[in-house]
Amino acid sequence: MKNIFIALLALLSVSAVAQSTFKVPKYEKFQLKNGLTIYLMEQHEVPLINVSAVFDAGSINDGDRAGMSMVTSDALLFGTEKYTKPQIEEAIDFVGARLQPFTAKDMAGITASFAVKDQEKLLDIIQQVLVHPVFDKTEFDKYRQRTVVELAQQKESPRAVIGHYYNAFLFGNFPYAIPGDGTKPTVEKMTSDDAMAFYKSNYTTGKGAIAVVGDFKTADMKKKMTDLFGGWKTAGARMVKRVAPNLEFEKSRVLLVDKPDARETTFLIGGKGIDYNSADYVPVMVVNTILGGRFTSWLNDALRVNSGLTYGANSRFTRMKYAGTFAISTFTKNSTTVPAVDMALNVLDSLHKTGLNDEILSSAKAYVKASFPPTYESAGALARLLTDMYVYNFDESFINTFQSKVDGLTTEQSKKIIADYFPKDKLQFVMIGKASEIRDQVKKYGDLTEKQIKADGY
Amino acid sequence: MKLKKLLLIAAVAAGLGSASAQTKPEDVKTFTLQNGMKFLVLEDHSIPNANMYIFWKVGSRNEVHGITGLSHFFEHMMFNGSKQYGPKQFDRVMEANGGSNNAYTTENVTVYTDWFQKDALETIFKLEADRIANLSIDPKMVESERGVVLSERSTGLENSNYRLIGEQVQSVAFQEHPYMLPVIGFESDIKSWTQQDLENYFKTYYSPNNATTVIVGDVTLDQVKKLAEKYIAPIPARGLPPKIRTVEPPQNGERRVNAYKDISTPNVMMAYHVPETKNEDFYAIDLLSSLLTSGNSSRLTKALVMDSTLATSISSSTDESFDPSLFTIYAIAGSNVSAPDLEKAIDRQIEMVIKNGVTDTELQKVKNQKLMDFYHTLETINGKARNLGTYDVFFGDYKRMFEAPELYKNVTNEDIKRVAAKYLSERNRTVGYLLPEKSK
Repeated sequence: MKNIFIALLALLSVSAVAQSTFKVPKYEKFQLKNGLTIYLMEQHEVPLINVSAVFDAGSINDGDRAGMSMVTSDALLFGTEKYTKPQIEEAIDFVGARLQPFTAKDMAGITASFAVKDQEKLLDIIQQVLVHPVFDKTEFDKYRQRTVVELAQQKESPRAVIGHYYNAFLFGNFPYAIPGDGTKPTVEKMTSDDAMAFYKSNYTTGKGAIAVVGDFKTADMKKKMTDLFGGWKTAGARMVKRVAPNLEFEKSRVLLVDKPDARETTFLIGGKGIDYNSADYVPVMVVNTILGGRFTSWLNDALRVNSGLTYGANSRFTRMKYAGTFAISTFTKNSTTVPAVDMALNVLDSLHKTGLNDEILSSAKAYVKASFPPTYESAGALARLLTDMYVYNFDESFINTFQSKVDGLTTEQSKKIIADYFPKDKLQFVMIGKASEIRDQVKKYGDLTEKQIKADGY
Repeated sequence: MKLKKLLLIAAVAAGLGSASAQTKPEDVKTFTLQNGMKFLVLEDHSIPNANMYIFWKVGSRNEVHGITGLSHFFEHMMFNGSKQYGPKQFDRVMEANGGSNNAYTTENVTVYTDWFQKDALETIFKLEADRIANLSIDPKMVESERGVVLSERSTGLENSNYRLIGEQVQSVAFQEHPYMLPVIGFESDIKSWTQQDLENYFKTYYSPNNATTVIVGDVTLDQVKKLAEKYIAPIPARGLPPKIRTVEPPQNGERRVNAYKDISTPNVMMAYHVPETKNEDFYAIDLLSSLLTSGNSSRLTKALVMDSTLATSISSSTDESFDPSLFTIYAIAGSNVSAPDLEKAIDRQIEMVIKNGVTDTELQKVKNQKLMDFYHTLETINGKARNLGTYDVFFGDYKRMFEAPELYKNVTNEDIKRVAAKYLSERNRTVGYLLPEKSK
C-alpha cells in the first residue's frame, strides 16, 4: 500500500465542501416525554436503515474501573428480557444486519444497519438491547476471560496501544487518561452486576439520543420510535461538573515503553490540542493538513519522501468534549530513532518559524474541501453525524459554514492559529521500542520515565 | 446517494430525477481505446466528486527470486516523477487540485486509486497519462524509496502477527507457483534490485493493454471518453506480458511450518488450495467461508470464541486470484490453549460440515448477508468503483457484480458439502503455528 495514514484518514477525517453550497439534508429532531432525543432523516438510495444510539456512558465515566464503559456496551448484547445472546446473534446474522456496540471517551452506545424489510425485527432487538438488557452472567464471564487475554495480545502491536500510553501520559488525573479498553487488573474483577449498575446509571433517556437515517417515511418512523422508546423509564440524568484538564506542561517529558523484541521505534510527539467545539477547529485543521494531514504534508515529505526513514509520518488533532491532544505520529527502525525524531521536531519548528505561504494554503484548502462530500456520503455516516451533534452539542451550521471558514483563512490569520494551537516546546514524547538500544539517546528530549510493555495498564 | 440532497443547486438535481435511483448494470458504460486500455464509466451525480481506479494486471505472481517485491515497489515508484511532473509533483499537483490518492499491490494486481472533486478530472488524466507514458526511474528516488519499503515491511511484521505467519504459510503451501512469494518482497531483494530490473519491469507490465480503468462519480461518459482519447490513447501499446507458465501441482500431503515471536498465545493458520476466482466453485467456497466465520452465529466463531474460550478470534478468507489460490483460516488461541488443541477444534467443525452439511437456515443466512454486502457496496462511489473493477478483472465481467446475489442464491447445501470435502482436506493443507518464544 502506498500510504497507511491516507487510508486511515480517508475513514476518519472531517473535512470540507467542494464546489457547491451545502446543507445538511433535511431531518427532524424531537424529544420523547422521557427526555430521549430522536433524529430522523430520510435517505432513499438503497433499501437500508441505519441507527446510531448514543448515551453519556463513555469511558470518561469509568472511574477506577478502566474498561467499564466498553464492557457494559459490549454486554448490552448478552441477552435481553425477550432474547438470549445467541438468539440476538442468529437473528441479526440471518438477515445480514449489523449491530455493533461502541465506546468512546464521551459516549457509548450502538450502531446498526439493516434492510428496510427487516425493520420490525431489528427495531425490536434494538429496543430490547437498549431498554431491557439482562447482562447474562455466563456470557459475561466468558467474554471477560477473552477480553483479558486480548488485552495482552493487543500489546503485541505497538500501533494498537500507543494511543493509550499517550492519553495516560498527557491527561494524568483527568479521566481521558483512562484506557477505554480497560486493563487486566480492572477487567479481571468486573462482574455482570457491575455492568448492570453502570448501565443503570449511565444509559439514561435524559442524556441519550437515537438517530435513524435511511429508506423510510418520517411520520411512520416517528410513530415507531415513540412506541418503542416512549415508555422507557430510566434514572434521572446525572449532572457531572467537569473542569477541563490542564495540558500546559512545564517541561518536556519522555515516556519510553520498552519492547525488548522491537525492530522499530513507534512514537508520538505532541501536547495540548483543541476541544471538540473550538471555534478555530476549521483553520486548525487546514493548517494541520499542511503539517501532517496528507501525503505531501511537510512531515511525510521530510521523513518519508526525502529521507526514506519511515513508511509514513503524520500529525493530528484528536478532539474530545472537554479537551484535545495534538500528536505527530510515525515510526522508524531502531537505529534511526534519533534522526527521525529530530527531523520531526525540525518540521514542527519550521511551521512556527517560517509559517505558510499563499500557494501552500490554497492547495490545502482545495484538498480539504474536496475530501468533504465523501465523508457524509453514506447513511450510516449521516446517522453518526446526528448523534455527534447531540453529544458534542453542535448543529448543522458546522457543516453549512465549513466552506466559508476554509475559504476565509488567510496566511496572516494562520500565523495566529499556529502560535495559539500548535505546540512549540515542552513537548511530550511517547516511544515504544527497544529501550536497551535507544534509551541513552532519547533521554535528551526530556525527563525520562520508563515502562515495560508487558506490565499491566499504560 | 446520500449527499444528493446537500446540493442546493437545482440544476444538478433536475437532471437526475428522484434521488432513489439504484445503479443498474446498463448504467455502466464501457469502451476500449485502440491501445487496449479498457474503461468502465458509471455516472453518479450524488456528490460533486469522482474517482479513478486503475487495475494493472501485475503483482507478485509475476516475480521471480531476485526481483521479489518489484511489483509493489513500482506501486511506490509510480509517484516519484515522470516527464512533465518531476519528483513529488504527482502528489502536489493532485492535492492542490482537490484530489488524493493511494495504491495497493496484491499477488495478482497493482491498483491505483485517485479520489477528486469533479473539476479535477482532466488534471487526473494528465497525471496518470504522463506516468504511464513517461515514468522516470531516478536512481536517487529509488534509493530513498527502498528505505520507505523496508520500513513498510518492518512495520507490517512488527504490528501484525497475521502478516508474519501468513508469509511463512504462503511460502510452504506453494512449492512451485510464484504465489509462494511475499508481496512486499524479501529483505535482501528489496536492498538489491538494479536499475535495469526496474526499467525492464516497467516496460513489460505497464503497457496500456494490461490495465482496466474504472471511473465513477460526477462526470459524464463524454468527458471521460474525450479525455481518455486525448491523454491515454496516444500511449503506444507494447506486447502483452508473458504468461505465467508454472502451475502448482496438487498437494499430496499435509505441510507444516512453525515460527516464534514474543507473543502471549499461539496463532494458528490453516491454508487449503482452492481454484482461481473464475472457477465455478468460487461462490460455494466463498459462502463456506461465511458459514464458518461471518458473524457470531457462524460455525467456528460460535464454537471457538462465543461458546468456549478456545480462541479470542477467528477469521477465514479467500482472495480474488487469477491462478488457483488459498482458502485460509486464521485463529488466535485463548488463554492456556495450545496450538494443536486449537487446530483440532477447527478441524472438528470442518469435519461436521463435510459430513452433515449445514442447515437450510444457515445457508439462507449467508446468502442474505451477501445481498446486504451488495447494497453496502452501492452506498458510495468508492464502493462502486472498487467492486466494478474487481469483478471485471477477476470474474471477467463487471456484470457479475450485479449478478452476484443471484449466483450466491444458486448455491445448494450439497455444493457446500461437496466443496468442503473436496478442498478442506488434510492432504491439501498447510498448517502454520506462530508460537510464543520458548522461555529463555
